Amino acid sequence: MNPARRHLLRATAAGAVAAASGQSMADTVSTPPACHRLGLQGEVNLLGNSFPAIQHIARIAESCSSAGLRVRFKLTPQARSETELAFGSSRVSPFDAAVVSMGVFSTLHARGRLYPMTDLVRKHGERYRLEERMLVRVDGEVMALAFMQNTQNLYLRQDLFERHRLGVPRTYAQMLQAAAVIRRAEHDFAFPIAQGFAKGFDLATEFTNVFAGLGGRFFEPGTAKPVFANDLGEQAIETLRSLLPFMTPNALASNADDVMNQLQQGRAAMGVLWASRAARMDDPVASRVAGKVAFAAAPAVRDGGPPAAHLWWDGVVMPRNGGPRREATFLVMMDMLSEAAVRSGNDLTIWVRSTFKPGRFGAGVELARLAGARPWPGEPFFALAHQELGKVLPDALVGDQSARSVLRTAAAAYVRAARDKGFTPDNARAGGAA
Amino acid sequence: MQPSTAASSRRSASAAVWIAYAVVAAWLALSSIPVLWTTLISLRSYVDAFSAPLKWIAPVTWEHYARLWVDQRFYVNFGNTAVVTVSVVTISLTVGCLAGYALARFRGSIGFWLLIVALVFRALPHSTLLPSFLAMFDAVGLRDTMLSLVLVLVAINQPFTIWMLRAFFAGIPQDLDDAAMVDGCTRLQAFRRVIVPVMWPGIITTGLFSFLLAYNDFLISSALTNADRMTMPAAIAGSIHAESEALLMQGIAGAVSITVPLIILVAIFQRQIVSGLTQGAVKG
Amino acid sequence: MRTSEFARFAAPSAVLMLMLLALPLAITLWLSVRQCTPLLEMATVVQTGPFGTETITTQRARFDQIGRPIESCEVVGLANYRQILGHDSADAGSEQRNEFWEALKFTLLYTLSTTPAILVGGLTLALAVNLVTQRLKGVVIAASLLPFIITPVVGALAIKWMFRDSGLVPHLLGQVGLHVFWMAEAWSARLLIILYGIWHVLPFAFIVFYAGLQSVPQDSLEAATLDGASSWQKLRFVTLPHLAPLVVFVTLIHVMDAYRVFEPVLVLTQGAFTASVQYLTYYILMQENNPFKASAAAVLTVLGIAVLLVPLLRKTWREQRKGF
Repeated sequence: MNPARRHLLRATAAGAVAAASGQSMADTVSTPPACHRLGLQGEVNLLGNSFPAIQHIARIAESCSSAGLRVRFKLTPQARSETELAFGSSRVSPFDAAVVSMGVFSTLHARGRLYPMTDLVRKHGERYRLEERMLVRVDGEVMALAFMQNTQNLYLRQDLFERHRLGVPRTYAQMLQAAAVIRRAEHDFAFPIAQGFAKGFDLATEFTNVFAGLGGRFFEPGTAKPVFANDLGEQAIETLRSLLPFMTPNALASNADDVMNQLQQGRAAMGVLWASRAARMDDPVASRVAGKVAFAAAPAVRDGGPPAAHLWWDGVVMPRNGGPRREATFLVMMDMLSEAAVRSGNDLTIWVRSTFKPGRFGAGVELARLAGARPWPGEPFFALAHQELGKVLPDALVGDQSARSVLRTAAAAYVRAARDKGFTPDNARAGGAA
Repeated sequence: MQPSTAASSRRSASAAVWIAYAVVAAWLALSSIPVLWTTLISLRSYVDAFSAPLKWIAPVTWEHYARLWVDQRFYVNFGNTAVVTVSVVTISLTVGCLAGYALARFRGSIGFWLLIVALVFRALPHSTLLPSFLAMFDAVGLRDTMLSLVLVLVAINQPFTIWMLRAFFAGIPQDLDDAAMVDGCTRLQAFRRVIVPVMWPGIITTGLFSFLLAYNDFLISSALTNADRMTMPAAIAGSIHAESEALLMQGIAGAVSITVPLIILVAIFQRQIVSGLTQGAVKG
Repeated sequence: MRTSEFARFAAPSAVLMLMLLALPLAITLWLSVRQCTPLLEMATVVQTGPFGTETITTQRARFDQIGRPIESCEVVGLANYRQILGHDSADAGSEQRNEFWEALKFTLLYTLSTTPAILVGGLTLALAVNLVTQRLKGVVIAASLLPFIITPVVGALAIKWMFRDSGLVPHLLGQVGLHVFWMAEAWSARLLIILYGIWHVLPFAFIVFYAGLQSVPQDSLEAATLDGASSWQKLRFVTLPHLAPLVVFVTLIHVMDAYRVFEPVLVLTQGAFTASVQYLTYYILMQENNPFKASAAAVLTVLGIAVLLVPLLRKTWREQRKGF
């Protein structure tokens, strides 16, 4: 039986079933058909990290595979570097779409690697009920579809805090006080605070959060010139250092997984961690403290200041050097970001869609936003500063180098890296080939 | 020899044997415990595998293996590893035998230089070639294919292969092929008919080293291939920074799955390894 | 054998090595003195997203007529090298890190500390296995080879899962009062990688020495026994000299392999405190997405191994020369 005839039979059967189940024709038209019935042809390859939510949409995307269409979604923690390599190739990109965080989005967009989806959105968006909040527009053009959001929240063992009559810490200073009390009183909590201080991404992110909480600026406004090697930067490092006595000595090798593990195994009483990971603490397959963990907005650094956290979104982008299957790719994307997808994976992350029903931990992002957290810096050259900071901050935390000298080293390295990428980090007014 | 000396030398001999067994036992423990421990935790759920404090007894589950091989389609990666490894070993040995034989029989200085250059190449860290591999394969459109991976692994393997095979061939007296050529064979026929059957132990040993290189490679495989074309080690690289505990546990199951064929292999071939080394490289 | 015959037999191998080892090396050299940078322009854009609207001042790519971002590629001489070595004179007085030197220091430390350990350990194990009864030898040899044949990524991961917080080793050490947090400090992380290196390579030294022990000339041993030599003297004056060329062989191979240490650095510490030269090149290539700087790191790496290998190569050269 040829594919077209099979497709026709399936469509007829679908209509019959719909009619039989009492749905009106109007409903059948307004709910978009499942993607594997669209008769798409070719091969669609997607790329993303291996977070549980992305695993979920990957499964949905791959279920779009049909007689003529093959959908493959590669999940890897190296997604960032693979995306940059694929989208930057002089040949056709091996991936037709990728899930990226907003930081990677800024970098890719600045390098001109992304394909504007405005027309595709106009054509198909309404049918799939794409919400305005999901559209990331730059000067009007839709460059990404944001579907999940995140921030850092403070997690704490409610039972322990209640037992010792401790209030929810609102500042880092209060956090340290609570940690001291718990350490003195509880035998099992020699290291009451768990936080990801691993060299590289994790530590740099902690610094960025605390630095922002102090009101620090990374760059001179309107330029790419680094100005973070100042007193506020030193203060941020000092704040991070003050946590060390309350954390496991392995903290400088601890990433988010290790922090989760410490909380789940009941070794830590509190920590600042990604909001999206929270639900795992209530699953007995992974956690021994299910039901005992509460959360609050990330602590502020100054009294009355904003929480030391940022708002993140993750979204799907298409490459400028993509293959010819743009529409098929877009339709697969629509299916995996649909309301049905959010409904079936509701508790896996904090979805952007308004139909998302926040569970116990789902209100984390709203909470941070209301408390004054700001979005992650959107300058494309910020990622370079972040990377250089991640390399040298451990030296300051163990005391091998002074905070100021470490910041200066990072700034100098950033300037060189930025120049390599074509940015102009020293001349405020320079632009292009001038 | 005086009786007392004989007795004391017998005593020291048996003391030596006891020490020997102690050393062997200690090493066997050290060598197998990491693998045994990894296997043990691969059969537990996450909360038990990485529990603090450590759990010696915990419920057993095979779900990670099931999810890895079925859901994550690890069998595809297994197939890729099989294809890559068999190709690399076959091509390496074919090409290497020819070159090794030629180097053993040729008396000119080109041969000497080729060996020295090959030795220098063997010293090259693979990552030094990665930037240009990526650029080269991108330019000819061979990026992300198994062909490029096979070719690179064969090339990387050549220096060691031709060194080892040359040593084996040099150990075979020249009279053998001289006699064959006197009987009217061309050089190639002499090679095939006379030399190769005698060479099997050497070929197996060299083949095993080629096999290990191709099977165990991670750096090149993870850089040159994606998704469905990845070999097993590249596919479990995700466990290094697993972002969900399900994937971490599957990665552990993957690590064990990768090791099992190797254990079987070395169990079968351990005698050939020793005899091959005794005959060949040990002499050279 | 005639030269033409030699050429035909050796050609496939030589061509493969030329195309896929020599040529890429040359390309790497060429890449290391170049740099491609995009030509960017300043712009102020309005970006809307899930968290509202922001005005961002950014620097972004310009496009040519076909719609491709414009890049300018040029020869930059030794600029990439200076960057890695921290000798970039662009910012006077600014602090700079010599990334390559730090990586090289640890790589040399690793190489120089693992080599004697595996030689001594491998020899000891070979002598010990030699005394085991014949029936058990097969099993013992197979089991002893395990750390060497394991995929390095898998081996490093296995060690990591054993040594992490509350893993098997810290748990056992904790029972006797020793609390070490392996991944936390420079000395313990380095020690862990070195221990992994010894664990991984000792079987190789073992099997080579063991094979060598099988071919110790029996007549020399018998003569020594008749002369009244003790076991220790036999070892020192007959066995060890016989194994000497193998020691050189194992050392040569191991130095080459140790210099390229990568998997344990990646898996156990992700480069914290313990970058190795191969890890540095990989990191710059894959994480920083800078193939030109990575090529410079690669060339420096090759120079490093050349310096290290020259003494060992000369010995091999002289020996091989004899055979031609």
